[in-house]
Amino acid sequence: MTEVLLLGRRAVREVIRLPEATIPTLFIPLFFLAVNIGQVSKTFPSTTPFLHGQGYVGFQLPVSLMFAVCTATSGLALVTEIDLGYFDKLLVAPIRRSSIIFGRLAADLVRGIGVSTLVLLVALAFGATMRSGVTPNFVPFDRLSPVMEALARANPVSYVIEGLRSLVLQGWVPGKLAICVAVIVATGLGLTWLSVRAIERYDR
Amino acid sequence: MSIATADDPAVEARGLRRTFKGGVEAVRDIDLRVERGEIFGFLGPNGAGKSTTVRMLCTLLPPTAGSAKVAGVDVVADPAEARRRIGVALQEIGLDPVQTGRELLELQCGLYGIQGSAARARAQELLELVGLTEAADRRTKTYSGGMKRRLDLASALVHSPEVLFLDEPTTGLDPASRLTIWDEVRRINAGGTSVMLTTQYLEEADQLCDRLAIIDAGRIVVEGTPGRLKAQMGHDVVSVALNGADVESTKAAIGELPGLERVVVESEALALYVEDGPASIAEIVRRLDRQRIRVGGIAVARPSLDDVFLRSTGRRLEGDEEVAA
Repeated sequence: MTEVLLLGRRAVREVIRLPEATIPTLFIPLFFLAVNIGQVSKTFPSTTPFLHGQGYVGFQLPVSLMFAVCTATSGLALVTEIDLGYFDKLLVAPIRRSSIIFGRLAADLVRGIGVSTLVLLVALAFGATMRSGVTPNFVPFDRLSPVMEALARANPVSYVIEGLRSLVLQGWVPGKLAICVAVIVATGLGLTWLSVRAIERYDR
Repeated sequence: MSIATADDPAVEARGLRRTFKGGVEAVRDIDLRVERGEIFGFLGPNGAGKSTTVRMLCTLLPPTAGSAKVAGVDVVADPAEARRRIGVALQEIGLDPVQTGRELLELQCGLYGIQGSAARARAQELLELVGLTEAADRRTKTYSGGMKRRLDLASALVHSPEVLFLDEPTTGLDPASRLTIWDEVRRINAGGTSVMLTTQYLEEADQLCDRLAIIDAGRIVVEGTPGRLKAQMGHDVVSVALNGADVESTKAAIGELPGLERVVVESEALALYVEDGPASIAEIVRRLDRQRIRVGGIAVARPSLDDVFLRSTGRRLEGDEEVAA
């Protein structure tokens, strides 16, 4: 655990010292938030049933939050580290190789919280309100064409956005939140397992 | 689990082999023994298998066959314990450019279980050892090549390893930085750390190593102390600079010189391997003068490690060129 904290602290220091790496992860969610609200909010006024009395900004906010946390840069940082040779230095240290991954993820956690907070503040400034505390990307499932609806329902990200959206628009909806958390946990565990497996087997 | 003792050699490899995908045999059944307290050199050209061997000994690369122990610990059976006992500075300098020198050393201390004030004190001690106290709080991306190399060396020493592996520690450095690294390696070794280094520089192997092995095409071709390897050559080398003179005419003019073992044609020079170099010069000059052949200069040299390399592999290491007898 100590090694994860040490490597995490280093990675967080890197996030702070390289703001230019974080700016794109902030720019993209804000850009889409502004563009989508500007384009679509007139089509869907707050009286639209699926908006539950909120403006369209509330409906779009979870999408921007997804952008904010999904543009993680740990993988890229790890590749750079392999290129620079520092990765080998870590590999010959008497630490679990998985801690290299978890240390990097700590930086993404900090960056994700920071960027999400900013996105949230901007959305509040645009008029979003929280029913509880926060895809089909642009409209609910039932407004999509049958083919698009099938694709959206097969996409696990949809359920994460639906869960987040329920928090913003409806308050606590246990069913949607449970699926949202399950998808996040399953995806997180699955991808982390693959990363750890890859790094455990790493040799040139 | 290995049971290692202080009597175990620093490095011991038997039949160590590494074959890469596509059948490339980088290291072919190497046997190696580095004693405690030694500076052992692994001398060879690029692609000879030096770095691959070091990567296997450092647990970075699994061997295809054979076995290896460092400080008595099997690197395949117990890599975690082996890592605790070794320090490694690889050819690619492993530094994080965003951190300062001090931060990197303190982090490295933490990874080896040294924390808090002990880590801070150890980092300071190492910064002083490698002469980087003034630059300690600058990010490493601002360091020169020599400074980076010294910091990398320091980071390999945080846990006072029993065996230090240095893969081409002075490649790309200017002569002054090279001498600084040599001094530091000697100082580290004097403190009791066994050192195994790879190099392609003859002078480095000659000056720094107690013993060395010459590796070529994945095989160790000769091994011993630099002095003994050179003494085994048993001859001096008289170098005749041709300066435009015809090779065959010059060879013919010199003819069957007393004590001549062989003649090697190099670019722009003849290398004459003779029993007694100084005594041969007068005779060589007389013979060339008799045939009115003008050469650029004649010099006598004691056998070098390059001559050892030449005799062992048929090629020179410096310049890496093929020569023909």
